[in-house]
Amino acid sequence: MVRFKHRYLLCEVVAEDPRCRHCIDERAVTTAAKGALARAHGDYGLACCSIAFTVKYLNAYTGVVLLRCRKDFYRLLWSALPLVTHLESRGQRHPCFFHTLHVGGTIRSCQKFLIQYNRRQLVMLLNSCTNKEERESIQQSLLGCFLQEAEEEQFQSGEEEDDCADTD
Amino acid sequence: MAEGGAGEPPPPPRAPLERLVLKNAAEHHYLRVSLEFPDGGVRLNAAHFKQLVVSALKELHGEVGAALPVDVLTYDEKTLSAILRVSSSGFVKLWSALTLLGSYQNRKCAFRVVQTSPFLLALSGNSRELVLD
Repeated sequence: MVRFKHRYLLCEVVAEDPRCRHCIDERAVTTAAKGALARAHGDYGLACCSIAFTVKYLNAYTGVVLLRCRKDFYRLLWSALPLVTHLESRGQRHPCFFHTLHVGGTIRSCQKFLIQYNRRQLVMLLNSCTNKEERESIQQSLLGCFLQEAEEEQFQSGEEEDDCADTD
Repeated sequence: MAEGGAGEPPPPPRAPLERLVLKNAAEHHYLRVSLEFPDGGVRLNAAHFKQLVVSALKELHGEVGAALPVDVLTYDEKTLSAILRVSSSGFVKLWSALTLLGSYQNRKCAFRVVQTSPFLLALSGNSRELVLD
């Protein structure tokens, strides 16, 4: 089948300032990524990666961003992301950097990875939390996700893995 | 009746046929270029020329392009022509950047690529400029 293939880059916006998280929006991320592309790869890189460039998913609380670009040029975008130094929105500058977590061929594969990653992060947070209330809330959310995982496994025991066709 | 082969020494064993194919392209590509100013009257020394080439690369291909190892092997100030050397992986980037360079210090200019070759020796003669008496 002839179709346009994409790559989805799952990134985390890491910033020291906790207020930065609330100022993350799609436009700021797009401008920052395109600015970095223009600096690193010039007009050619900017034009190549802007063909099918979108921010597919954005979570302002955890700072997770899902970027999409064409499969032929995902390396240009991937190599330009470490050059992002700040996000600008509403006239405010927040220093931050992009930490790329996963590159996938489909949104579903990135979602699977994100779920596993969040579970691991919860476990790490549990080990490092100081407050008793925090500990209880993290334990509750962990219990919640392990119960859900057990239910999912029951449902999926009969299905075969037929969504690995898109990892190209 | 002669038993032909009995007394002759056995033929020497044939060496197995060995074929070596080297697909390594040359490390560098060489370009003979000349810079043209339609309005004329511009002087550039070798350092300015190299800076122009690197700025063309930077405009089209960014920092990665500007970091491409380009060398100006010869430069003639009167005719503004030069021989450039570039690593083969960056050949397309350099040629496309030279093609799309439009101006130098607000003056229109154009790069003409006269000859290219992976071998420097091939640039010594150009059959297009051959004059037959």
